[in-house]
Amino acid sequence: MPAAVRRVLGVVVLVLGGALAIFGAWNAVSLGPSGEARFSVTSKDPGALVVQPDILNSVGVPVRITARRGDGGGVRLVVAPSTDARAILARSAVSTVSGVHFPAGTLDLRASGVGALTGISTADVWRLSAKDAGTAQLVVNQGRGPETAVVTSGDGTALRGVTMTLTWADSAWFFDALAVAVIGSIVAAFALGDLWNTRPQGGSPMHPRPRRGRVTT
Amino acid sequence: MTRRFRVILLSIVTAMSVTGCGAAHAVLGIHGQPRANPSSVPLTLDQAKNILTRDFTAAQQGETTAGAAARAALRTAYTGEALRAANARVKLASVQPTGTVSPLLAPQQPRLLAVPRGFGFPRVILAQTVASEGPLPILYLLTSPDAATPYRISASATMLLATSLKPFDPLAKGSQLVIDGEGLVVAPAALLKAYAAGMAFPAKAVTNPPFTADVFSAQVRAKAASVAKGVAAQARFSQVHQVVPGSVYAVRQASGDAIVFGVIERTDSFAVKSGQAVNTAANKEFVLLTGRKRVTKSATITRLEFVVFAVPRSTGQATLVAASDPVVAGSGS
Repeated sequence: MPAAVRRVLGVVVLVLGGALAIFGAWNAVSLGPSGEARFSVTSKDPGALVVQPDILNSVGVPVRITARRGDGGGVRLVVAPSTDARAILARSAVSTVSGVHFPAGTLDLRASGVGALTGISTADVWRLSAKDAGTAQLVVNQGRGPETAVVTSGDGTALRGVTMTLTWADSAWFFDALAVAVIGSIVAAFALGDLWNTRPQGGSPMHPRPRRGRVTT
Repeated sequence: MTRRFRVILLSIVTAMSVTGCGAAHAVLGIHGQPRANPSSVPLTLDQAKNILTRDFTAAQQGETTAGAAARAALRTAYTGEALRAANARVKLASVQPTGTVSPLLAPQQPRLLAVPRGFGFPRVILAQTVASEGPLPILYLLTSPDAATPYRISASATMLLATSLKPFDPLAKGSQLVIDGEGLVVAPAALLKAYAAGMAFPAKAVTNPPFTADVFSAQVRAKAASVAKGVAAQARFSQVHQVVPGSVYAVRQASGDAIVFGVIERTDSFAVKSGQAVNTAANKEFVLLTGRKRVTKSATITRLEFVVFAVPRSTGQATLVAASDPVVAGSGS
């Protein structure tokens, strides 16, 4: 293999290895040893908060949903099959989680609809339900999706200023990220070693390497 | 750094930026949302049991207490014709003979027979209880017409002697609601209509009935004939049976047969003959419902006939397996 091609390949491998190492380390630090990814948002618009299945059921591990009201009022958190939840939400005022940002840990909300949400407290479609003052929490297991989570006040009053947190946790994620970082580091180290060993021996035209003089006596 | 090297490096960085999100998704195992299974059960076993407990507890509360809270409890437990029957039962409780009061007055654990399959509406739950005061089980139909409306008891009937039910699909699989009678020897609506017509008085012949003869309709017809004979000197008696619209539900069983619930409204009409006055004081139900102890022109008594049929899939006739006919209304002048 020509030396120039080998050096180009070496650089490519070095960049790939370095990128893998950075990516792995960055994920490992972001997730922590528990492998926990946490995302939060605080609603500004009045109405229920909704998490659709494209986010709720997007990862194959349980998701913990926590809804917290600063004023200590009632919070009701429910989960139902998406078709049923959609029928109840209809066109009432809701804020739907529309984006998840990792590792920023933030969620995007999209407001839609008008009018109060009715029938949510009497319906029999909710597979999971939690209600408490100030904070309510649920863990949604996967396997029954698509499902939708809805946060309301539970008493018909408009909900505003609720902070919702979605948490996914899998300790394997941390070790996966760590493995990626280690593999990337090893690859980068080998590439760097190869580049070092095959570095050109001659200097550049601007800085010619001094020639060794022959010592004569 | 040569130009060629810079181009390669830039390409790599660009490619890694573009695929960065994909790599993160791969590490976290992020995937698209799962697709809904149209034949899955829309509620868990615990949900179904909680619904039964809630409705039966409310029914018991509604029938053992009085006032606005009791009425609200009845509305929580019952809907439609079953609510009409429960309200009448409460009103007539003081004059009902022992044994005809609601079996729900005795606390008991209902047995879940069938839960819905699929995400369409209406959805139904079938349950069964055994009355503490009698040996015959009672079948219950709970319905939910839409996502926002909870399940409530919409029909109940006592099983007839020597009848039984074939098993339904496992609760984890759910039971299919039969629409328009597809895959059955007779459409549920047509069956109920024919059965109602067959019980009319004066009697009307029903040719090729899709149901077998049963003790309930025989008793209804015999009693109608007896009443007509008893009041013949003072009044003309007639009896009409009309299927209540929207009351017929059919649920598929594991064998492919179906259980059909239906409600028929029976109206007993008395046209008092000219110059006659009928003393109704002995009929305490009628007096409670109408406030009249004497009628000179006409009187009606309305009953709801909650009937349950076992309908075969391909051959044979439907068989009545449960029936109840509580009084719900009366009028007189």
